[in-house]
Amino acid sequence: MKVSLLFLAVGFVLVLLQTTLLHLVPFGPFVPDLALVLCVYLGLNHPTVGAVIGTFMLGYSVDVFSSPVLGLNAFALSLVFITAYLSSRAIWVHSPLLSASVVFLASWVKGASLMLVWATFLTMDRYGFGTVKYILIDALLAAVLAPALFALLNRGQNYLERVRMPEEME
Amino acid sequence: MLSFLRRNQVLFSAFLSVLVSLYIIAPAAKGQHRSDPIGPLLIAVMRPLQSGIQASVIGIREFFMNYAALRGVATENDRLKTRVRELEGEKSRLLEEEATNKRLRELMEFRSEWAPKSMTASVIANSASAYFHSLIIDKGKNDGVERGMAVISALGVVGQVVAVTSRNAKVLLVTDPHSGVDAMDQRSRGRGIVSGSLENGPVMKYVKRSEDLKEGDRLVTSGLDGVFPKGLMIGTISKVNKKSVGLFQYIEVSLAVDPERVEEVLVVRGVPPEIKD
Repeated sequence: MKVSLLFLAVGFVLVLLQTTLLHLVPFGPFVPDLALVLCVYLGLNHPTVGAVIGTFMLGYSVDVFSSPVLGLNAFALSLVFITAYLSSRAIWVHSPLLSASVVFLASWVKGASLMLVWATFLTMDRYGFGTVKYILIDALLAAVLAPALFALLNRGQNYLERVRMPEEME
Repeated sequence: MLSFLRRNQVLFSAFLSVLVSLYIIAPAAKGQHRSDPIGPLLIAVMRPLQSGIQASVIGIREFFMNYAALRGVATENDRLKTRVRELEGEKSRLLEEEATNKRLRELMEFRSEWAPKSMTASVIANSASAYFHSLIIDKGKNDGVERGMAVISALGVVGQVVAVTSRNAKVLLVTDPHSGVDAMDQRSRGRGIVSGSLENGPVMKYVKRSEDLKEGDRLVTSGLDGVFPKGLMIGTISKVNKKSVGLFQYIEVSLAVDPERVEEVLVVRGVPPEIKD
């Protein structure tokens, strides 16, 4: 329960950061996608039904503040969660390089799923090399920040689980 | 069966959330708008924090700017830049008025129609995703803001209101790939739709190959979309590419306003009567 509350609070703070302070980072239209990093972390290290609901809510929150169409980010982040969860069965993410790689790939899943929904339902525009470049930069940004955020989340999760264990033993 | 479901409950619930997301998206694909019961609550919770952070950021920025002002150069530079931008905007407006007067349009009456029906608003939050370009402003239904209203700044077009809560509104910026502003070339009167794009920044779409558009031409709102008043500065053409095949030209646009950097905007209340007719 405490761990779930931790992730809920982190999600809230990340959306807050993404809508305010992170826009000060001079990356043009790009804003580091920390929400995506959190979803990947949840898929890899905390795969519960609560995490699925949290991921959906996180995507929905991003939609509320960003997207003209509700549900787009909720859809994309849910797919990211599934990808991370399925990959967690095959790989053990134990190093910063691996976590960055998984987030990089997850960012492509998110970008591709957004494009797919746009192209299928919402627009007649075609996507070309420029879009691929856009997704690449977004993915690189998220991947660079992933190890640090993974380390922080891991530390928080471990701390809360350590606190819980003695209580359970009593 | 039950144990199979229990063993894969995470996967099933994740697929369920994908389906729920698609269910939420579905009305937009038909051009409909679904009411959002959670969004206003979330915005209301976030609003004080976002306003606080935004105010702090502006305060810190101003502190450093004032510090630099002691040295004199930065302030003078900023003042001159602002003045140049103002003059650019003024020049654009005057050119447009001149052109419109030639066609016996009543631009001055037009402006006086919409100016009193507008209100200023402050930006309290930006988009949370690089794939979308939007703002949250501190005016909502209670202040008379409605979906579809135009949002402008002193220098030109910023965007359009796409969602409203009682105290806030979400503005879809002109830089978003899903936005669209009916625009025309101030010199040749060629028309098209200015929209954002992930490819190369803002572009002007659906401009016929036969239209005579050149780099450096000013683009203004045509007023025909029923959202933006006519003659507002949008930007200048930065690149024109007439591909060997196709009905339309490919035009890149350099916007007059960087919508991601605006702090205060003007929300235009309602469409002037000329456009409604």
